[in-house]
Amino acid sequence: MSADRHEQVAAMLGEYALGHLSPGERREVDAHVSECAACTAELREFTALMDVMAHTPEPVAPPPALRRQVLDRFVADRGGVAARRTDDPRTWAWAAAAVLVIGVGATMYVAADRRADAALRATIADLERRLEDYAGQTDLAVSILTASDMQPVPMEGLDRAAASAARAYFSRTRGLLIVADRLPTPPPGRVYQVWIIGEGASPSSAGLLGAPGTGRGILIATPPAGLAAGTVTVAVTDEPPGGLPAPSGAMHLRGSV
Amino acid sequence: MGRLAAGDVDAAAELYDRHAARVFALARRILRNDSDAEDVVQEVFSQVWRSARRYETARGTVAGWMLVIARTRAIDRLRARRITPDAVADAPLDTIPGNTIAPSDQVVSDEQAARVRHALAVLPDEQRVALELAYFEGLTQSEIADRLATPLGTVKTRIRTALSTLRGSLAR
Repeated sequence: MSADRHEQVAAMLGEYALGHLSPGERREVDAHVSECAACTAELREFTALMDVMAHTPEPVAPPPALRRQVLDRFVADRGGVAARRTDDPRTWAWAAAAVLVIGVGATMYVAADRRADAALRATIADLERRLEDYAGQTDLAVSILTASDMQPVPMEGLDRAAASAARAYFSRTRGLLIVADRLPTPPPGRVYQVWIIGEGASPSSAGLLGAPGTGRGILIATPPAGLAAGTVTVAVTDEPPGGLPAPSGAMHLRGSV
Repeated sequence: MGRLAAGDVDAAAELYDRHAARVFALARRILRNDSDAEDVVQEVFSQVWRSARRYETARGTVAGWMLVIARTRAIDRLRARRITPDAVADAPLDTIPGNTIAPSDQVVSDEQAARVRHALAVLPDEQRVALELAYFEGLTQSEIADRLATPLGTVKTRIRTALSTLRGSLAR
């Protein structure tokens, strides 16, 4: 590393944290920071500064009515009891929505015979949970794809998976989105598991690639804690159902940024 | 967050009471409009409610995470207000500076906040204005140069200098 390069990058770290660099400049900074401890430390301080900046406006208590609306929404989202009484029209909208949900549930409840009832309720609870998970996943996927430190990971299919097409997008701050198509069916009794591997670190599991057997898979995951600077590798291996804490099976997809 | 995921409304109230004033203050600083800032507070907490199960551990401090969401949402609104829909569609996502900022694991203390608040207040005006346009309004450096009718290089220098000074105040 040349001293000139160091000076040049060190001068850009604040703008990096502020999100003011072009993708090319960011790559330049990333490349240098990954091998420069001083710049890593300095960048961490600038990132911390960005957090503190958000705290600089003096706290101001919002109007009391807002507290009710926010908490009513919590109750409505939870799918629990009807929203509390309040005079705000928006709260009434939420209350109406909650009543509607309860109404639909009650109708289904009445329509079902006693034995089917428990199964039906379980199904409704399951659907609600999946919907909530889905909303969370969508938020996370969008935050990964729009993160300014997002980098596409060129994924390569190995051996039997050579013909598969996979795309991965990684942001150190937000996480990993990986989509695979035309994947061979995993070996019998095995599932595909995704790993994020920091430079010189042991792999950490990002989770299982969904929908095995269809040849397609998608996974959206938050980044592993304490990921070292430097190259990050994304790998897909086959593992026993439920996955393992460390990879044991053959590697099918691999890519690094 | 665990109690929150379990649907505990007291936990939700506690979280609101602890953080709402900061979220509101940030949104208000960005939007300079109370009613829009209230909408942002609603959005931030809705997202927290929805995501409580998923982000228990991976998100650094809750406050940091909420302020990141608040800043991004508020700046998005500001941009929508400022630019025509066509221009928004054309703007690369990277030009929204909010997207870089992810909360670190550090809890921001009141003392740190006060130090940086003070350091910001005593910056030379031209540096403070440039930095605030970048951080609170999400403007790119060229947009700031246009807004202030100042050469781009000058804007760059002012922002760099301001950030270095503030970083110094944090480390002290």
